[in-house]
Amino acid sequence: MAAARLPAFLVLQPRARTLRAFSTSVSPATRSPRPSPSTTERTSKYGRPLRRKALPPRTEKMAVDQDWPSVYPVAAPFKPSVVPLPVRMGYPVKRGVPMAKEGNLELLKIPNFLHLTPVAIKKHCEALKDFCTEWPAALDSDEKCRKHFPIEIDTTGYVSAGPSIRNPKARVVTLRVELSSLNLDDHAKKKLIKLVGDRYCKSTDVLTIKTDRCPLKRQNYDYAMYLLTVLYHESWKTEEWEKKKTEADMEEYVWKDSSSEKNILETLLQIKAAEKNLELSKEELLGTEAVEEYRKSVVSLKNEGDNENTLSQYKESVKRLLNLT
Amino acid sequence: MAAVHSARWLRVRRGLCLPLTGRRAAICGRAPSSRFYSGSAAVPEVEGAGATGTEEVVIPKKKTWDKVAVLQALASTVHRDATAAPYAFQDDPYLIPTSSMESHSFLLAKKSGENAAKFIINSYPKYFQKDIAEPHIPCFMPEYFEPQIEDISEAALQERIKLRKVKASVDMFDQLLQAGTTVSLETTNSLLDLLCYYGNQEPSTNYNFQQREQAEELEEATEGNNEKPQKAAGHELGVTWRAKNNAERIFALMPEKNAHSYCTMIRGMVKHRAPTQALNLYTELLNNRLRADVHTFNSLIEATAFVVNEKLEEKWNNILDLLKQMVAQNVKPNLQTFNTILKCLRRFHAIGKLPALQTLREMKAIGIEPSLATYHYIIQLFYQHENPSKGSSLIIYDIMNELMGKKFSPKDPDDDMFFQSAMRVCSSLRDLELAYQVHDLLNTGDNRKFIGPDHRRNFYYFKFFGLLCLMEQIDVTLKWYKDLIPSVFFPHSQTLIDLLQALDVANRLELIPQIWKDSKEYGHSFRRDLKEEILMLMARDRHPPEVAFADCAADIKSTYESQDARQTAPSWLASSLNCIAVLFLRAGRTQEAWKMLGLFRKHNKIPGNELLNEFMDSAEASGSPAQAIEIVKLAGAFSLPICESLTQRLMADFTLSQEQKEALGDLTALTSDSDSDSSSDSDNDVGKGK
Repeated sequence: MAAARLPAFLVLQPRARTLRAFSTSVSPATRSPRPSPSTTERTSKYGRPLRRKALPPRTEKMAVDQDWPSVYPVAAPFKPSVVPLPVRMGYPVKRGVPMAKEGNLELLKIPNFLHLTPVAIKKHCEALKDFCTEWPAALDSDEKCRKHFPIEIDTTGYVSAGPSIRNPKARVVTLRVELSSLNLDDHAKKKLIKLVGDRYCKSTDVLTIKTDRCPLKRQNYDYAMYLLTVLYHESWKTEEWEKKKTEADMEEYVWKDSSSEKNILETLLQIKAAEKNLELSKEELLGTEAVEEYRKSVVSLKNEGDNENTLSQYKESVKRLLNLT
Repeated sequence: MAAVHSARWLRVRRGLCLPLTGRRAAICGRAPSSRFYSGSAAVPEVEGAGATGTEEVVIPKKKTWDKVAVLQALASTVHRDATAAPYAFQDDPYLIPTSSMESHSFLLAKKSGENAAKFIINSYPKYFQKDIAEPHIPCFMPEYFEPQIEDISEAALQERIKLRKVKASVDMFDQLLQAGTTVSLETTNSLLDLLCYYGNQEPSTNYNFQQREQAEELEEATEGNNEKPQKAAGHELGVTWRAKNNAERIFALMPEKNAHSYCTMIRGMVKHRAPTQALNLYTELLNNRLRADVHTFNSLIEATAFVVNEKLEEKWNNILDLLKQMVAQNVKPNLQTFNTILKCLRRFHAIGKLPALQTLREMKAIGIEPSLATYHYIIQLFYQHENPSKGSSLIIYDIMNELMGKKFSPKDPDDDMFFQSAMRVCSSLRDLELAYQVHDLLNTGDNRKFIGPDHRRNFYYFKFFGLLCLMEQIDVTLKWYKDLIPSVFFPHSQTLIDLLQALDVANRLELIPQIWKDSKEYGHSFRRDLKEEILMLMARDRHPPEVAFADCAADIKSTYESQDARQTAPSWLASSLNCIAVLFLRAGRTQEAWKMLGLFRKHNKIPGNELLNEFMDSAEASGSPAQAIEIVKLAGAFSLPICESLTQRLMADFTLSQEQKEALGDLTALTSDSDSDSSSDSDNDVGKGK
């Protein structure tokens, strides 16, 4: 067993002794020859050891049907001697071509996904199937998921190369819930929306709570759930001072007891008085169809804003009301 | 440092405290099931499934696994890259090592860098206090090697023992005794442990490295000579136990000794090669009616084998005695016991075979699983002197049948010698199937770890590949060649010669230029035997890829020349010159071929007969008589017997001018000292006549 090693060992010994003596006496300015047997193969005819020559890149030895995920199993920098593709990158000089891959810094700077080819991803997924459990059979559509599990939690984990596995950005927790799935009546909903302010999106009816005030993710999660609970309970309660809600606090326009109602009543009464028709009372006036229509158009105009439909509706209703068809 | 974001969705599975009419979200908190990464599915809770309308949502229990399970699963999707160098090296064509010497020195360089860094960190610990690693990594922090407690006390002694400072702890012990304080039994025992382990010497920094090397050398030495070794080899290598050293002194000073003290002393003595004293101490132990533990018995078994001047049967009987005493003292043997017995039996050569099998049977009867070292000792015992004429034992087949498919874990320091000895046996038996079995065993599970250090791995693959070249079909051999070389081992020139001979047998000589190109990469450009083999194979018969062969020959010629320029000893051989010239001629490179003739003269080597004939043919083909005359001159200069037939041919086939004939005449006159007098005279007459 030592025979395999012995001849090379013998070859090494005499050279090493002479060269070591040489290198200790040499001043640091001059380069002493390296006492390694590789230089014996790469010396020129003139006896002076030349620079070590590089091997041919190992792309030449690669088979066409090799197992690529084994060549790049993990995220690694781009190695031109390992990637058998004639890739070019870089801004070409005038009448030139982009630079080749050897020694190309641009290819090194960008992140490469040579370790995540579709074949590799398929293999990884196959291997990771053991860690997964089955999806519940009852949850086969999005609506059912939302129905059974109305609250959605988003968390993010971070992985980086370094001695520490902690990342302060990982503590953020985002909680999303649709208000339609919560059991809120009208007052509770309005109060909740007022309480949360910006966190409620009207178009999608989603309340988003994002917490990062605690140092740990689970603490933030607990805090988010606590906030949701508190909001829910508080919105069901009615405080004393809520009775003092003025018109300026209203979220949407309410016809009852509004100035528009008063105005139209006055107008109609005046019209009726001019026509000497004092039989109708307020409630009956309000109950007529024309006034109903007017009410609807005013409410839609105030709530939805000005657009073609609402304005034309208002015009029609006013005309009907004032008998101006 | 690339940061990768991974968003993870987690549906909350808690029931909110609201009445959800009719539906009930299944309750599943984070209750972990005991599911580790082993591939079997978790247990879902199946409640009354699927009544029409209202469906129960069953959430299966979450699986748990240990920290590296995911990484292991992903790692199982990749295999070894056959073109890559081992991962420890930088993957750059300029920085990959090209021979085993280089790879060894690169790894040593890397390790020495690490050691230098550790040295700096430990010398100036106050600059390396900042710890950014989370969770804490202890080996990144500086270590403290100096004892902190300065006063004379037992705690100080314990600290010095813990820091492995032999001399300091002995001094501290002496100081304690002088001061009059009694040292407790445990502390004294641990001091004895320290002294016996290191043999009363300070542990040096490459202590472990030296120990292993010396142990191996001792093994080889004892294998070489049969009975003499201990006295000669023992004292030069390693630490020996001197009488009246510190350990014995302290031992004698101890007021009370328990079994542990005796055991430590015995083990220390055996480790440092003082077997007789160890046995004496053992009898003292028995006289004090104390019991020894299993490790001590293992050492004693080794001691009985080491004792000189005893016959083998006596030694075996002593070992059996010890085993009986072990039973009497109710001490259970362990794996080390049996391995030690087998190791000692190895020295008994032929007599040891039967006891070895008995030991193995006993081991299995008790229920101790044999380790790879056990089988290694058995192989060594049965196949020690490779003498196929006597008929080898067939025990290797039984061993391999038993070991197939088993995965091993390291249990004995000699476990890594098994594969080497198994492959050696396969190679000597010339059995390829068995070699494949051994290789399969190497590749099951984690057994790859048992291949051992560099030289053992190289030996294993050297033998394996040699066997493949010898016995396997050429296509399969070439596949193994691409797979193993150079990513697993660097081939010896003998390996390449074997491969070339296999190519020869299979008539695939067109691959020779490729092999030559590869061998240049592995640093074999100056191996004379390899180059000669290549040239000889190429030049032997006519082969189609003549151009490629000629290129290869030119390459080899240039290596010869560069070697010549540096060394004074001539490296050319006549046969290689012959081959190169022939190859040039066949490829039609007549210019270079003619230059070769000059080289013949320069190095004073004799050209072969066929070569000269071929030169004549080519001169005829190109129709230049001057060249033909050159050849004849050369033949004449060397006084070759063929000169005469060449001259005749020259006369017959070529038309010569007058000066040429004159020159020819002189030449033949010079060489006419030999028996071809009359013929040359007649030639002259004929020439003059024309």
